[in-house]
Amino acid sequence: MRSHRASVIKDLVCFALLLSLLASSCSQKYAADYKQLKYPKLGQIEIPQVKRVTLANGMQLFLLEDHELPLINMSAMVRTGSIYEPADKIGLAAITGTVMRTGGTTSKTGDQIDEQLEQIAATVETEIGLNSGSASMSVLKEDINTGLSVLADVLMNPAFAEDKIQLAKIAHRSSIARRNDFPFSIAFREYSKLIYGPESVYARHAEYATIDNITRDDLVAFHKRFFHPNNTMMAVWGDFDTEQMIKKTEEAFKDWQKADVGLAPVPEVKYEFRPTVNVIRKDDMNQSCIFLGHIGGMMNDPDYFALLVMNEILGGSFSRLYKNVRSRQGLAYEVFGVYAADYDHPGEFYVGCQTKLSSTVHAINAMLDEVRKMTQEEATDEELVVAKGAYLNSFVFNFESHGQIVDRLMTYVYYGYPEDFLQKTRENVEKVTKADVLRVARKHLQPDKMQILAVGRRQDFDEPLSVFGQVREIDITIPTPQK
Amino acid sequence: MKQAMQRPRIGRFLLVILLLAVVMLPLTRAQAQDLVQFEKRMTEFMLGNGLKFLVLERHEAPVVSFHTYADVGSVDEVKGITGLAHLFEHMAFKGTKTIGTKNYQAEAKAMAKMDELFDAIKAEKRKGDKADPEKLKKLQEQFEQAGQEAQKHLVPDEYDDVLMQHGAQGYNAGTTEDATHYYVSMPSNKLELWMILEADRFANPVLREFYKERDVVMEERRMMENNPRGRLWEEFEALAYRAHPYGEPIIGHMSDVATVTRREAEAFFRQYYRPSNLTIAVVGDVDPQQIKKLAEKYFAGIPGGPKPEPVETEEPPQRGERRVTVEDTAQPQIRIGYHQPSVNHPDSTVLQVISEIIGRGRTSRLYKSLVKEKRIAVSVDTWPGWDKYPGLFMFNAVPSRDHTNQQCEQAIYTEIERLKIEPASSKELDKAKTRMRADLIREFDSNSGLAAELTFYEVITGDWRNLFRQLDKIEKVTADDIQRVAKEYFISKNRTVGVIETVQAAK
Repeated sequence: MRSHRASVIKDLVCFALLLSLLASSCSQKYAADYKQLKYPKLGQIEIPQVKRVTLANGMQLFLLEDHELPLINMSAMVRTGSIYEPADKIGLAAITGTVMRTGGTTSKTGDQIDEQLEQIAATVETEIGLNSGSASMSVLKEDINTGLSVLADVLMNPAFAEDKIQLAKIAHRSSIARRNDFPFSIAFREYSKLIYGPESVYARHAEYATIDNITRDDLVAFHKRFFHPNNTMMAVWGDFDTEQMIKKTEEAFKDWQKADVGLAPVPEVKYEFRPTVNVIRKDDMNQSCIFLGHIGGMMNDPDYFALLVMNEILGGSFSRLYKNVRSRQGLAYEVFGVYAADYDHPGEFYVGCQTKLSSTVHAINAMLDEVRKMTQEEATDEELVVAKGAYLNSFVFNFESHGQIVDRLMTYVYYGYPEDFLQKTRENVEKVTKADVLRVARKHLQPDKMQILAVGRRQDFDEPLSVFGQVREIDITIPTPQK
Repeated sequence: MKQAMQRPRIGRFLLVILLLAVVMLPLTRAQAQDLVQFEKRMTEFMLGNGLKFLVLERHEAPVVSFHTYADVGSVDEVKGITGLAHLFEHMAFKGTKTIGTKNYQAEAKAMAKMDELFDAIKAEKRKGDKADPEKLKKLQEQFEQAGQEAQKHLVPDEYDDVLMQHGAQGYNAGTTEDATHYYVSMPSNKLELWMILEADRFANPVLREFYKERDVVMEERRMMENNPRGRLWEEFEALAYRAHPYGEPIIGHMSDVATVTRREAEAFFRQYYRPSNLTIAVVGDVDPQQIKKLAEKYFAGIPGGPKPEPVETEEPPQRGERRVTVEDTAQPQIRIGYHQPSVNHPDSTVLQVISEIIGRGRTSRLYKSLVKEKRIAVSVDTWPGWDKYPGLFMFNAVPSRDHTNQQCEQAIYTEIERLKIEPASSKELDKAKTRMRADLIREFDSNSGLAAELTFYEVITGDWRNLFRQLDKIEKVTADDIQRVAKEYFISKNRTVGVIETVQAAK
């Protein structure tokens, strides 16, 4: 880059000028020292007020007007989830969530609903996940009556048509058949089973047999058990008048009756810290996929805020793992690490990467070193400044869209968190010190009791995994269907 | 973080934007009027060195998105240096002569030493069996030492840390066949910080830690190789093109990545990162006059130069169907592609509408046939391509368990033949157009999405205003056009078919 030689000198001149605040239009190749910048105060973030209403039938509404675009969106949360399905029918919750929408209602087939919605560029979707169910709707504002009536219909009167149940089962069986095609998803799935136990509701997954066991009656019963207005929260945002929208929603759901749901709390997790070494053989790979870690935590832990900062330093976008495992050593393209905290049950702590087979053990050691270092010495001042800055200075992006704001509030209420949890998080992150980070790392990370999982051609690893302890091989053969 | 995108995603935004006017206003006066409304918030200017800025004001939140579009992608590479556009993208995060280093002079000396040793190692290895293992070992040690010497001068990842610390969101880059994209969103009070960093990135890049980052890219390539979709994609593209560089992998061949030198990367930078080859969009809570002032201050000093030559190789007409079977441990899937014209050709618009009708959503012809009725696939979709040079119109299907690629292939051909003989209904055409309109509205509140679209239109079609002007074309697509275009392009001679068929892994 010969052409830049001359510019170095000119640059220094310009640089000096800038420092002495004399250069207002120094058109230079490179010049300014960003460290000298003074930033203007950020424009005021106006946080709009969400309107909350509980309808006579017990359904809670969260409404927020947003007149920028001619759209209306709704998003419901229903207290249900796969944690409530029986062990011999894993997949029941997911299939119920799918077929509520695809199987049509007592008055319209699923195909008719597809046509009706796609013709007006609208969507209505339903889904049931681990610990909640969701229903969503998005329409151009002039189509709100159609959208709302379809949404209400699928929530209240699903028909569970047999042909669409079969279609959903085909999709599930096909994904079982394909579940060992991607190394990362193998590792992710099997790591969860190591942490929570293979039978745990937080880790178990469907098999051909559990899908075959599911009947239409099961779907009807599962829906009947959970889908009631007093068990449902609904966020609404977009181009409407709040009072009118409340009336419309009330009207759409007026036939939906309250019922006693009486749900047991979500299952607890019992975790015993222990080091284990596990390998999954996959012979057609030239990389190994590695996960290491143990149980994680919950968001209502007072240490949560310091753990957020610790996460940023250990495994954030340009963290120690990124710097040391990727950039300095070139061991991986993708390296990750997070002490995950969930709302209502402990998440997982994991670090991992994908690296060439011949650096597998080397990479495991490099990652273990980073975890250990977190518990041994304080982070540097620079690390703390970058980690806290990354959270605090990007805080404004939490308010980019109205949907984000109202959805977040509903989620906090659903899981019983304070409505101002986000603001509280910010205030607490501001207070986090280096000593806090070290304290929570020592309390929550156990580098000597990590579970290690590697997927790959073990015969080509740089060293045998047994350097970490006795190796257990996990068989991921897919149990064949009964019929 | 930094990755080779598998395909340009920009294209999706593009359709969406096109239809803005239709939604907002009655169609007849829509285009002109909406363009006027839009232009009021747009400011464009070009610096003396040829660098183009597009600024769109959106004051909804105190944030701003930046998108730098470098008109260079893997298509601009030749054999021997494949993967270089992407590798350079990685290197553009490594800092500059003043950012990321404690002592650039000393660091440069150590890096030059590394380059020399790397050449020597390559020369020795080239001797094959006659290479001297002792000599190689010694060279390798010296290379490591020089690396350690260079590292002493590092301020590690300063460039990334500064942006993150100041609240960067969505900070990343991506390389496609056609382009290299650098993008980030910032709180709007950090505008000048971005200006300084982005200008310096293209004025004074230092390709430090080159050989380590090369190792990272080799891991990135292995990740692609360990993904069945990646394996099929690579075989498929290589087969579909016999002349045009679209057939080469974006990430490059492993042997090219392993042997590329820092000198080659610097030469590539000098050729393709001239200001005349860069377009920058700024969308958000900004004052265009301020942008202009700062752009002059920080970017105008980058030396200019002519815009690099476009690719002259043309893909010759195909003489017969091409097929490849990837023998794999993964479950079956199928990909079918037909050569089609570039995004600037009038037929491209028709092909986009075809893709909507045949390949999108639960009521599309392919989904209804393959998934709902025949139950032979769990998913099926189409991709109309958005390519600068003539590319491929793609069909993808994933067979359901106990069903085959062959069944899916036949069912897809049946629907393709229907396109040729049966005119699309007006209901289908209306649905496609309505949905494209609504897509636009739904995407319209994204600063980063808009920034990407503006640069795409400006660079690839020559004027960002085409995002409105193309509206006419889409509205004018008729059932006759669809039949004519389907007959012209969707013929067996013009087709490439790639499948994954399952076999057991070798032990």
